[in-house]
Amino acid sequence: MAQNCLICGIIEGRIPSKKIYEDDTALAVLDVNGSNPGHCFVMPKIHYPIFEQVPDFEIGKLFSISNKISGAIFDALKVHGTNLFIANGIPAGQTVAHFMINVIPRKENDGINLQWQPKQLSEEEMSTVELKIKEHMDKVGVPQSQSKKQASKKPLNEDSSEESREYFMRQLTRIP
Amino acid sequence: MYKLWSLAIVDGSLYLFNASLKFTKYLYTKLFLKNLMAQQQMTPEQLQEKIKNMSPEELKEFQKKQCVFCQIIEGKVQSRKIYEDNVCYGILDINPLNPGHVLLLTKEHYSIMPQIPDEEVIHVFTVARNLSNTILRSLEAEGTNIIVANGIAAGQRAQHFMVHVIPRKANDGVNFQLPQRQMQQQDIDEIGDKIVNALSSLFGIGQKTEQKGAPAPMPKIVEAEFKEEDKRKKQPKIEKPAMQQNPDKKKEKKETPDEASSGIDLDDIAKLLGAK
Repeated sequence: MAQNCLICGIIEGRIPSKKIYEDDTALAVLDVNGSNPGHCFVMPKIHYPIFEQVPDFEIGKLFSISNKISGAIFDALKVHGTNLFIANGIPAGQTVAHFMINVIPRKENDGINLQWQPKQLSEEEMSTVELKIKEHMDKVGVPQSQSKKQASKKPLNEDSSEESREYFMRQLTRIP
Repeated sequence: MYKLWSLAIVDGSLYLFNASLKFTKYLYTKLFLKNLMAQQQMTPEQLQEKIKNMSPEELKEFQKKQCVFCQIIEGKVQSRKIYEDNVCYGILDINPLNPGHVLLLTKEHYSIMPQIPDEEVIHVFTVARNLSNTILRSLEAEGTNIIVANGIAAGQRAQHFMVHVIPRKANDGVNFQLPQRQMQQQDIDEIGDKIVNALSSLFGIGQKTEQKGAPAPMPKIVEAEFKEEDKRKKQPKIEKPAMQQNPDKKKEKKETPDEASSGIDLDDIAKLLGAK
């Protein structure tokens, strides 16, 4: 638990909140200053600043809950759509150093803009990007069964440990 | 969870509705049929007739045929593939927000996220996390956005479920607007309780504190849906029979203008699909 983390404060109960769902790994609360009524945050109880640090088990829990909440919002609030939005890193719009999933109820013309202007890339640029990503693809695979999951979890952490720790520390210092 | 769907044609476009009528008209997906109609030289009415006579399996096939992403996955349409396993398929977006914008698709055709079984959701997002990690490293991005859009109001363009994994850099000219609105405490409590109730019924239990294992209560929900279907069949020739069961829903329905489903007998189509 990080002392000065707002979200950890909510999880510990130091800061009051309206809880939607709680279990031993995850918590979902309503956003007080939400962009639409019913805007929820789903977060892990352990303090992980960015997406890449969250382990497989918690990812599973968090997203299956987000999915359920998304369905519940459709039922309860009669909205026209939902967005799942994750901001990971300051340039992406992350404001709190605690990983969370935004579940946002949507109606037409509600003032929220998650659209973008597509950039036109030449075939060459696309190929360069494709190659660059493929070079690093060895870490993407997802294990098929539970037992394999446990086995392959370690190597994945090991071979990225040095580099990633450095990277994560850099990210940490970036987040206020 | 939401497996019963019905179709209707409005203004020459095909809409996909949830046949349990819980989401009513709002949760529709627009299928783009102009090309198809030109190909087969059919009027919307003829097409609707054709769709009516399809079995649920055929209907799914039909949807798949219309979906460009299903064709990409089958290899019929060219794409830059980044990742593939037995559940999902990652490609580079041809209209990227930033270079390296990846679309992660499910191999099975789903329109929106609540349709997808839990195991696949977990799998897809585990891959999305690893992809995000890869993108950060390979493209020296400073952050990533992960976005899912369910429904046209949320900005969904294609009728195939996908996760956007978008590399971000400082000052890349992208400006997502998530305005903050001050809310009254009583509104928050009210909305919160509504969501908690809906969530509890999704989990198939009454008490929030009992929610522990997410996948366990799933069969209950399926059972409940079939029961609802049975009830619907027992009430012949009544308009919107599903609404009759629930007075609250009926009220809601009256309040909202029903422009999308006007003139189309959704119930007939729902019954047709309900046979499954």
